[in-house]
Amino acid sequence: MIFWTTLLIIHGLMAIALLGAITHQAVALWWPLRVPAGSFVARVRAVPGTSYVGAIIVLYVVTFILGAWIYTQYRFTARLALEQLRFFKTVGAFELKEHIATMGLILLPAYWAFWRRPLSADYALARKQVTLFLAIIVWSNFLIGHIVNNARGLGS
Amino acid sequence: MIASHNIPVFGLAFTVAYAAIYVVCTEVNLPLVSYHPVTAEIGWLWQPQRSGPVMYWYGWMLTSLIGALVVAFVAAAVPEPWLQRAIMFGGVAAVAYLLLYTAALFIYDNATVELEFLKSRSLSVAGALAVAVLVSCFVPSHWNKRVWAGWSWLVPAGSIAVLAYYLMPYFTR
Repeated sequence: MIFWTTLLIIHGLMAIALLGAITHQAVALWWPLRVPAGSFVARVRAVPGTSYVGAIIVLYVVTFILGAWIYTQYRFTARLALEQLRFFKTVGAFELKEHIATMGLILLPAYWAFWRRPLSADYALARKQVTLFLAIIVWSNFLIGHIVNNARGLGS
Repeated sequence: MIASHNIPVFGLAFTVAYAAIYVVCTEVNLPLVSYHPVTAEIGWLWQPQRSGPVMYWYGWMLTSLIGALVVAFVAAAVPEPWLQRAIMFGGVAAVAYLLLYTAALFIYDNATVELEFLKSRSLSVAGALAVAVLVSCFVPSHWNKRVWAGWSWLVPAGSIAVLAYYLMPYFTR
């Protein structure tokens, strides 16, 4: 059990790092700063989005692989308990999480292609849209994962 | 090899094809492999549960991966207007199918006489294809000059919506 708990903690930490990176990039892209950064929020908005692309892709893939691995354990331990407790909404939310995570993973080739340097003006709008969509995916899955963990996760 | 200028097209086609094939794989249940987590056994294609539950998610992803790679390589080789037309056709057909099949089931449920034929998926598929052909005829030609990059997020978003709809029984119990 210690092994799976450790894996789950690492998965959670990777997800937090991913959440920070994609949020940073999406904010800088959709709400760019036009004047020199002063405050904390202004500095968040002032980061160059291109420098986050590689890290976001690596973090997403690693977080996904860890999640897919933990899923094997979840399927015949936590999920069975959730079903016996009739926590069907929680089970359904986790089912949705696996689909959303898959959609995020397959978005990465297009995300990477649109962010390739030199940045193409043809894909400026697509870059913004895909980055925002990826941010929504990461946030959704983070929150669902958090809820499921609260229902039947660490220490339960 | 894929030419440098075709990389975004390849990436976009891969994402769009994968999202569409994945939805079909989950609905029709077409896993390339089935995984039995209790015994850590992997079997080819669909398999029933043995001692403990069986997982198809990995299998659906692998089936979709193969399909999407084939589509993406073909898409990178054909002219962009063809790809744009194909995605537009597929997108309109998918939306039309969902609307027609939902309407058919609604009518079936509320009709005072037995209209068994409305439950047939093939009827809605035929209707959806007809709608897609019609729409394709009336789409302005300048819309088809280049692939619209927005498909890369719109199709996965649509797929998530459909998959969420399939999961509704979990939330309405």
